[in-house]
Amino acid sequence: MAVRSADDLAKLHERGLGSLFPAKTKVSVGMATCGLASGADEVFKAIRAEAESRGADIVLSRTGCMGFCQREPLVSVVKPGWPRIVYGEVDIPKAEEIIAALAEGKVLDEYALCQIAEESNLIEDSRIAYPTNGLPPGLEKVPGYQDVPFFARQEKRILHSCGLVDPDSLEEYVSLGGYRSLFKVLTSMTPEEVIEEVTRSGLRGRGGAGFPTGRKWEFCRQAPGEPKYVICNADEGDPGAYMDRGILESNPHSVVEGMVIGAYAIGASQGVVYVRMEYPQAIEKIRTALEQAEEQGFLGNDILGSGFSFSIDIDCGSGAFVCGEETALMASIEGLTGEPRQRPPFPAQSGLWAKPTNINNVKSWASVPLIISRGAEWYSSLGTEKSKGTVVFSLVGNVNNSGLVEVPLGMSLRSLVFDVGGGIPGDKELKAVQTGGPSGGCIPAEMADLSVDYENLAEAGSIMGSGGMVVMDEETCMVDVAKYFLSFTVAESCGKCVPCREGLRRMHEILTDITEGRGQEGDVELLEQMSNTIIDTALCGLGNTAPNPVLTTIRYFADEYRAHIEEKRCPAFVCKALTSYYIDPSKCRACRICLKECPTEGIAGAKDVIHVIDQEKCSKCGTCYDVCPTRLSAVVRLSGVPVPATLPEEERVLARAKREE
Amino acid sequence: MVSLTIDGRKVEAEPGKTIMEAAGSVGVKIPSLCYHKALLPWGSCRLCVVEVAGRPKLVASCAVPVEEGIEVRTDSPRVVAARKLVSELLLLRCPEVPQIQELASEMGADETRLRRFQPDHEDCILCGLCIRICKERMGINAVDFVNRGPDRKVAPPFSRHSPICQTCGACESVCPTGAVHLAEVTGNTPRPIAAEFNMGLVGRKPIYIPFPQAVPKVPVIDPERCVFFQRGVCQTCGSFCEAHAIDYEQKEEELELDVGAVVVATGLDLYDVSSLEEYGYGKVKNVITAMEYERLTSASGPTGGELKRPSDGRLATDIAFIQCVGSRDFKHMAYCSSVCCMHATKEAMLAYEHHPGTKSTIFYMDLRAVGKRFQEYLTRAAAEYNVTYVRGRPGSIEEAENGNPIIWYEDTAARQTKSFETDLVILSQALLPSNGHVSEALGIALDEYGFVQIPDRLAHPLDSSRPGVFACGYVHSPRDIPDSVVQASGSAARVAEVLAGTQGADDDG
Repeated sequence: MAVRSADDLAKLHERGLGSLFPAKTKVSVGMATCGLASGADEVFKAIRAEAESRGADIVLSRTGCMGFCQREPLVSVVKPGWPRIVYGEVDIPKAEEIIAALAEGKVLDEYALCQIAEESNLIEDSRIAYPTNGLPPGLEKVPGYQDVPFFARQEKRILHSCGLVDPDSLEEYVSLGGYRSLFKVLTSMTPEEVIEEVTRSGLRGRGGAGFPTGRKWEFCRQAPGEPKYVICNADEGDPGAYMDRGILESNPHSVVEGMVIGAYAIGASQGVVYVRMEYPQAIEKIRTALEQAEEQGFLGNDILGSGFSFSIDIDCGSGAFVCGEETALMASIEGLTGEPRQRPPFPAQSGLWAKPTNINNVKSWASVPLIISRGAEWYSSLGTEKSKGTVVFSLVGNVNNSGLVEVPLGMSLRSLVFDVGGGIPGDKELKAVQTGGPSGGCIPAEMADLSVDYENLAEAGSIMGSGGMVVMDEETCMVDVAKYFLSFTVAESCGKCVPCREGLRRMHEILTDITEGRGQEGDVELLEQMSNTIIDTALCGLGNTAPNPVLTTIRYFADEYRAHIEEKRCPAFVCKALTSYYIDPSKCRACRICLKECPTEGIAGAKDVIHVIDQEKCSKCGTCYDVCPTRLSAVVRLSGVPVPATLPEEERVLARAKREE
Repeated sequence: MVSLTIDGRKVEAEPGKTIMEAAGSVGVKIPSLCYHKALLPWGSCRLCVVEVAGRPKLVASCAVPVEEGIEVRTDSPRVVAARKLVSELLLLRCPEVPQIQELASEMGADETRLRRFQPDHEDCILCGLCIRICKERMGINAVDFVNRGPDRKVAPPFSRHSPICQTCGACESVCPTGAVHLAEVTGNTPRPIAAEFNMGLVGRKPIYIPFPQAVPKVPVIDPERCVFFQRGVCQTCGSFCEAHAIDYEQKEEELELDVGAVVVATGLDLYDVSSLEEYGYGKVKNVITAMEYERLTSASGPTGGELKRPSDGRLATDIAFIQCVGSRDFKHMAYCSSVCCMHATKEAMLAYEHHPGTKSTIFYMDLRAVGKRFQEYLTRAAAEYNVTYVRGRPGSIEEAENGNPIIWYEDTAARQTKSFETDLVILSQALLPSNGHVSEALGIALDEYGFVQIPDRLAHPLDSSRPGVFACGYVHSPRDIPDSVVQASGSAARVAEVLAGTQGADDDG
């Protein structure tokens, strides 16, 4: 039954509200990939089984990713009269306890992450408060959503209903203002007005390049040729970045709606969502959303009776990072090998099947319905002068609270790492923050007050990128980081052009030598020269940016390179060829823990005989270092210095044994 | 027209032309490896990159179209650095390929900084020319790039012989480094097109100039072997020709001419001496015909004038000529071919001049040296050019294990049967009048050997059996070039006689 009028939409809206806020107790389990990877599926089944066995009449639903992936599986419970309670790190035993407690009207505050008193409807600028009566004891111990440091500094916009709605429910999407923007566009705005609004908002492409989105739409609109295409780039390949996956798995309709609005503005009649094959859950969710949208008349012929027709296909990648590059992506859709081509011509003039094409990232499309309903002024009320709005990061690495975060542009790195991220595990020191994936760079801890926006990151030598943000602590070797990123780009290079295919692997050769003790004088200068020329000469964005991690680590961590090359020393004790493990005989108490744990059986010793590591057998795994009791801390890491000679066995007999003699 | 600046010079170019083409039109040569005039720009070697003011990165001039007002630099420090790095990287990949060594030295590659790396030993530079010519021009795509990044290589699918390769060899011929081997692409045996003028000793292309002295000296397309005429694709030649002189639509025309006289000067054909099985032509590798010898010793021939024998390419310095092969022989041609005694002697002397000390033996029946000072020529050959004349007609030729032919002959002077081993045997093949269709077409009679029949040899030595039709040269009777020229003048005179006073008159006048 297709939606043709405001009334039809209102009916869906009502049904959605009924589904989102049923009159019964509702339990939602976060089942995006982050949740599933933590065991959410088993938890879901356990809850269902427990509820059934108790004869409890509850609504059990699936939801997406709330962003606090560190604490998955997350289970939300709404009992009529209570606020929403979010339980974190729920396993099967806890799930059963929670259901049991629920039956008794209790809250298990020790498992609860936070309570949420009202949900926000960002599109319609309204709030839906949970009516409260009969609050359970102990609820006051559960922090409010705004009191959780991870959430407090965030400004969720495109992530706002992720983790709340069931991604498979179009009605729930509509109940929070979904497709209202599309309705507004098709009934009361011209394509030019839409482009004007998006341009004024200051939205910049969230795929990484940061090109003004409205301007890009305008180019495509002006280009001659038919049919026109719009593409959603969901090939998200940066290691550690999964923002686009999160959105597709949690709120796919926001992307669909954005694409329909964009297609209307540009004059496109066909769209493609290009998702990487490694995201099966995201593929399934977007596929379902597209089918539902078509069924309800938000896609297809004569959408909402406006005369505008537009449909969207899905195409999947096949395991190539380079297919995130727009011309390689289009080649892939056309059935050719995923290889970039020369630009000009730009896709806006000649793209998919040589027709005018507009490609945007998942997050850019998801931003569009918000801009249309709330307006350009609202959108640009957050952010910095040239970087408007909010940005979604996947905050990962050596950070306590890893997950997907959405913050206004302009927030400092320090705030992101310590306020939102909750600091570094083990209270270790921050060393660097890496942004922009393999195309980006490492910002040193000294620059932690950098206000994150497109310009500042570029000036620092990095890029915003798609939103990957990797926190690195003092135990990170920056030369190793550079080598890691280069090994990624070397493997993912399509191989078409000489500077990238040959140049990057030669740079990797140098870095490998440096990390294995074969660094030579002049290596750093050579890396810089090659980097600059490759950036200038490579055919596509992969090659143009792959040297960035090398250049930024040389710029900010030159000392580490010097240590590796001149002293054959790795300050972070990461590079195995340069690191040795040694048991300090003055500290060892021959407890045999390391001896038993050593995977190569490389530790000699016995009760009362001080242990010795056989350097030939040592695989530098670091196990002995980790398991040696903290009070003894007898295992030390050495780098750049020779390993002291082993004491003869007689001298290794412990005093207490001698005393016994 | 689009106006732009290249290296400070104002240049006008047609819209749609690339920066490289515009630069070329004013004599600015930009180096490239993956660019080919008949293929779509690929832009992968990055050697042709240039700086365009206002654009953040260098761009491939082979692919980027000209735009109004752009300022291009083909020689800036960034461009020089790019070319240097590209050539260095290729040198590291293919250190033994001469073309890459040359390129690297031209681009200023820094050998010292290259010593830091472990070189590969590839010969393929992954320019993709082979793939693109097969895909874009031949419409086949038998080979393509496989694997990504550093593992990239060119191969047919699954590195197995391609079932769709048309064995044209375009891939091999377009490869700049000689890395493509047709045998790796297809299990088919390539069928070279035998170059007719070089006696099939070497191949030719479907589009070719028949021989250096061709009139007009203009290439011709062999429609039987041309991929366009056979399959409707390619046309690489047409897209290269700057004069747009190639017209694939050309048809044969039949012209009707009203003439008062015809001169038949169709020359000679060569007798196929493989029918003389005793001499082993076609079986014993180092037995060749005199015409093949001519091509081997010609500076514009397949070996550049070096007498390299067919079996092993070794220089032949002991050679033997056998005269009257197919001539003066009731089993083949009964007449004497007239020119062979002289040409064999000339050929022997030529071999000696190329490599002094070369020994030649000419096996003859009679030495026909009938022209002016021809006898002295033969005497000089024997005295000064190490030529030995042996009277005797060889009976057979065997092949030794080392490829040397062994001639069995009767030495009529000594009245003995002997064997004679040599490096190379040249058969002075019989020559035939080239009279195809002449008889029916012109209504003239031929004699029993196929020469034009001359009814009155005394009074009208050049008149055929039909008034107004004259014959000269070898089709008339066996003769050499000077004698053919004499007859040609004579024919011209006869034509003038016949046509005198008939200008403007019709058939009856």
